[in-house]
Amino acid sequence: MTMSEALPHYVESNRLEHFVNYEILGKTALRVQRWRDQWKFARRRPRPDSPLNPPLRSVVHMKEIMSRHYLEGRYAAGVRKVAWVTSGAPTEPLQALGYFLVYPENHAALCGVRRKAQSIAEEAEQAGWSRDICSYARTDIGAMISGNTPAGRLPRPDMLVCCTNICQTVLHWYRVLADYFECPLVLIDTPFLYQEAHEHEIAYVKRQIEDMIAVAEEIAGRSLDEKHFEDVMTNARRGAELWLEVLNRSQHHPAPMTAFDGFIHMGPIVDMRGEAVTVAYYERLLAELDERIERGIGAIKQERYRVLWDNLPIWFKIGEFSNWLAERGVNVVASTYTFAWGELAPMIDPTRPLDSMARVYLHPILNRSTGHKLDAMKRIVDEFELDGVILHSDRSCKPYSLGQIDQRDRLVKTLGVPALLLEADHNDPRDYSDEQGSNRLEAFVEMMEARA
Amino acid sequence: MEIWGPPSVARHEGSRHFQAYTCDIVVKAMSFLRSGGLDEAKAILVPHTCDALQGMGSVLGDFLKPDQRVLTLYLPRARRSSDHEFLRRELGRLATTLVEVSGHEPSADDWAEAFEAEDAADAALAELYQRRGRLAVSDRDFYTIVRSREYLTAEQFCEQVAALPKGEAARRGVGLMISGIVAEPELFDQIEDMGAHVAGDDLACGFRRVYSPSTQADPLERAANRLMTSPADPTCGTPIQVRVDTLQTRMRALGARGLLIYDPKFCEPELFDVPLLRKHLNALGFPVLHVEFEMGDSLPHQTLSRIEAFVETLS
Repeated sequence: MTMSEALPHYVESNRLEHFVNYEILGKTALRVQRWRDQWKFARRRPRPDSPLNPPLRSVVHMKEIMSRHYLEGRYAAGVRKVAWVTSGAPTEPLQALGYFLVYPENHAALCGVRRKAQSIAEEAEQAGWSRDICSYARTDIGAMISGNTPAGRLPRPDMLVCCTNICQTVLHWYRVLADYFECPLVLIDTPFLYQEAHEHEIAYVKRQIEDMIAVAEEIAGRSLDEKHFEDVMTNARRGAELWLEVLNRSQHHPAPMTAFDGFIHMGPIVDMRGEAVTVAYYERLLAELDERIERGIGAIKQERYRVLWDNLPIWFKIGEFSNWLAERGVNVVASTYTFAWGELAPMIDPTRPLDSMARVYLHPILNRSTGHKLDAMKRIVDEFELDGVILHSDRSCKPYSLGQIDQRDRLVKTLGVPALLLEADHNDPRDYSDEQGSNRLEAFVEMMEARA
Repeated sequence: MEIWGPPSVARHEGSRHFQAYTCDIVVKAMSFLRSGGLDEAKAILVPHTCDALQGMGSVLGDFLKPDQRVLTLYLPRARRSSDHEFLRRELGRLATTLVEVSGHEPSADDWAEAFEAEDAADAALAELYQRRGRLAVSDRDFYTIVRSREYLTAEQFCEQVAALPKGEAARRGVGLMISGIVAEPELFDQIEDMGAHVAGDDLACGFRRVYSPSTQADPLERAANRLMTSPADPTCGTPIQVRVDTLQTRMRALGARGLLIYDPKFCEPELFDVPLLRKHLNALGFPVLHVEFEMGDSLPHQTLSRIEAFVETLS
């Protein structure tokens, strides 16, 4: 059976379709949509019954950027070379080679936010994938075999790039994709750092990035332009720096943004780092946050407790959690997850792209030890002056979650802050119990009240 | 000593450090360690083959800090020249640490002697598999010897193999191939009672550990080569189509009529491949049954019924 018979919804576009539907009609429609959203924003009256202050105005720009990205994806196959990549993959050379990048994890999260993940994941389960594997993978595999996605349509990949610096799951997941799409799978294997990185580990990653570039050049039919590559690296560094600044603005009291906002606003740095539009977007967002700080506007109306979130968000509960916690005066002001796309900015050196990429892509928090993550949490608790920590024990994300029991114990013992282990899943609502979750969150808030 | 899920260890101690969705191998190994089962060991080596073992190695080293030195080894996930070079250097790092732990710097003769012994044991294991179809031993006894390669010295293992009965006997009943991480003895008894036998395996603690001898002069190169030429294995990133080709070739050669995939709960490296193994092998005429189990527990009646029904369809 050929791929087109097995996956009939993966069709190629032509340049005319791409030009008309994306460049002309699509972009125009999204711009009009953004104007309408801005107009509505300007006329929006504060809701006295809401515990939240009005959302950030920049969100309408982010919506336009992300929608444009997914819209282009619908018409990219056959027009641009397409690579499906993991969220921690070294994508800068691919961008410089003109690839359109698809992030299946981001797509799965989109399905989660839209509350479509369960029904799509069930398509994969029907086809035999176990409920015990990652719900992102089940969501994407389900979308792949059924064509069911809120994004409309994803472009068929010309290559797959899988980097193990976020988990080993992606290796197995991308082997499945490679089997379906019958296209090259490039693996960037990043040894887990139990301690500091050794030279042979850095050399290993660098060599694999070089090998990836060779494969990508062959598929693209062109060579990497060094100047363009350096420009992409410069944008990647600037985008990451700005994102880090955005997150650090929540050190202010009251914090101008919640971590739940952060989960949404991280879209561009994940999907489009290295692009000028991402840099421009975070400059805009930063300016808005500074304006809020200057005017003393917090993300929530009554910030009584400031909390850290550990692990991925529970995508299908973001809105509910945000309101529920804000009603009790709890502002989740930081998360270990969102920092992952900013904290390595100082390591990015556009003048030494391959050497610095090898170091950067070895060092995401998910590729570092449980002790390192504990130290990171302690630092954030200290710098953001936090009152508690919620550790999302994420059934689907073993590398993030294993170690949390000991981390929680040490946070409580050494910092004296309440720390809650909240059992759930980032995308599968069947693994979260509302009643148990609410009870545990209530008890957590009471502990912070008792300590205040 | 190698720990794959020691017998008669409750999850209790391990569950104090790992969530309920963590695989039994990790939780029980942790329980075994915390209950004093490894007190005689000077060091604990945690190979990195999956996210669960990664978590175990990290929690041990960062938080539990046992008396034994905690050592780690990252095994690359592909078989490229870059992986080979990395593994050689990673083994060098491990060797340096082992010298610190043991206080003994091996000479060239020590290395040669060790390789000679391990090569002999590897050859004995390979030969054991070659003779399996004619050996007059039950599957339980056969796999008890295969698994003893995990914890006996090379010399002791060779003695065990040499002590096997010399007689030959034809296998009875329908032949199965079994795939997964580890199969505990009860399963073999049950399969035999159903009138079937295990014609071959693709188990992490079985055939996937049949290494080919290597002859390089440099001991680290030789060790790396031994690991890099091991049979197809999802934890090493073997492409699914390669696994399918290997399985069907071996199944035809061994007379196995179907594949029983026998996976411990939460084992992602194994679970991801199951639907595609089923799809491709079914297309080649091999039925596939997938069963998940919790280690150390008796096989549930429902599981046995499924295996029995599978055997009946093959018969």
